[in-house]
Amino acid sequence: MSDALIHALGLGVEITGRRIIDGVSLSAARGQTVAIVGPNGAGKTTLLRALAGLIPSEGELDVGGYDPRIIDAATCAQTRAYCAQKPVSAWDYRVRDLGDIIGDPVGYADWLAKLQLGEFAGRRLSELSGGEQKGAHLAMAFAALAEPFGGALLLDEPAASLDLGRQEAVTQAIFAFAQAGGACVVATHDLSFAKRCDGVVVLLEGRLVAAGEPASTLTPEIISGVWGASASSVR
Amino acid sequence: MTVTKAWMAGCVLLAGLVVLALSVGTQGFGWGDGGSLLLLRSPRVLAALAAGLALGIGGAAQQGVFRNPLADPGLTGVFGGALFGIAVLLGLFPEAAWQRAWFIPAAAFGGALGTSALLTLIGSGGSSARLLLTGLGLNAFTAAGTLVIASRSGESRELLTNGAYGDWLGMATLELTWLPVVLCLLAALLLLPLARSLDLLSFGEDAARGFGCEVGRTRRKAVLLTALAAAAATCLVGQVAFIGLLAPHLARALVGPRHAYVLPLSALLGAGLLLGADTIGRGLWPQAPLSAAAVTAILGAPLFIWIARGRHE
Repeated sequence: MSDALIHALGLGVEITGRRIIDGVSLSAARGQTVAIVGPNGAGKTTLLRALAGLIPSEGELDVGGYDPRIIDAATCAQTRAYCAQKPVSAWDYRVRDLGDIIGDPVGYADWLAKLQLGEFAGRRLSELSGGEQKGAHLAMAFAALAEPFGGALLLDEPAASLDLGRQEAVTQAIFAFAQAGGACVVATHDLSFAKRCDGVVVLLEGRLVAAGEPASTLTPEIISGVWGASASSVR
Repeated sequence: MTVTKAWMAGCVLLAGLVVLALSVGTQGFGWGDGGSLLLLRSPRVLAALAAGLALGIGGAAQQGVFRNPLADPGLTGVFGGALFGIAVLLGLFPEAAWQRAWFIPAAAFGGALGTSALLTLIGSGGSSARLLLTGLGLNAFTAAGTLVIASRSGESRELLTNGAYGDWLGMATLELTWLPVVLCLLAALLLLPLARSLDLLSFGEDAARGFGCEVGRTRRKAVLLTALAAAAATCLVGQVAFIGLLAPHLARALVGPRHAYVLPLSALLGAGLLLGADTIGRGLWPQAPLSAAAVTAILGAPLFIWIARGRHE
């Protein structure tokens, strides 16, 4: 456990009296990518926000060498980056401005190119499609870290609403980031992406159903059990 | 337009405007014998510059912190609060109010901070409509309060009414204005370092915190300093709407939305707009000058509507 870059033990989140995350443990070592999967409302986004230290939680938490709930925001941001499912911007920045804002225009341009968005640098965000805007915000999250080595990246549905080519580019960028010595935790609905990760965490109604290698967690039994169970609970 | 060119053009225009402003007035064109008129007019010009600067940068900061292009200390009730603060002081302690230079600025700051706090508590976190409606309510309440106090206090009545119409620049003397001028500059200087945090805030609270911005601290600082800017500007001019709205819009149209450019350029444009408005009001009708606030509204409102239309096309 000591070499884990992202480590949570017995994490719990309660929002207005409702328990959204209950006793979840999760760990991603240097070089690893871990997928959080589960049906809608399972708590994937809440878990990711709790890992990022953006909402209060109970339990042990160590992300990129710090407990993000305690450490000051600026120090934390050196080794932990987060990208929301639907990033927003109040002002219509140019794509390249985002690199200046996080203070690393060169690194940002680099990640932008890796996400096949290099030619959009001079455009305004409003001139981009939803998927392209998401890509620009992802590049910002990648580049916000001081360096990939030792960095913890928390991404919420990074490839949703992207076309197939760019989906693969994002996937490659995530794996490249991990290979450079970082760790990624990715909330996703994409089970084929999850199967390519080093670890998978299956979440249902805020609780762990299964955790471990894809081969042992994404079995037909668990998949039908989890997504079937959610379907029956809706009814 | 590049940033450097915009800056140079702005500074040259402003310098020209200052010379013009120093040359026109009720006593005719020119600087008078041995610059006597120059000396007479310079406090007013200085006050207009400082107040406009504070209004411009204050508007930009408030828009940044509320993530809303329609936020403006004039529309959100912060000016109203500042004037109400002054009215309360003048109403309760008509003599004591003038005994120390900082009494009136402090009262204005208290009022501005009060409405800012209410605005933040009630109006933020929701839609544009909620922010602006809260501001509308605060404006109406403080305006009514100011009016009530003005109508009950004989000696301060004219003074407060003039303040409500943004017509205080005419009284500018160095004794009255030096402290608010310093406070305007101080608020502007302290707002400039918030540029990066305001940029990060535009991506929402989660993202901003994720990228290392202390969201709560940034908000408190921006709200406090905007209140200070609005209070100091109110002490100099009274109530002026539109400059806090117009200056940041023009700045964004010229150099894009990054706050590192928008904040200083809004300050420059705000100074130019208010001084320009005051100069037009004095220059065109030297016998019966129009208040800076009236000229700002007459020229600013159509310009603002034109900008608003252009942005959506």
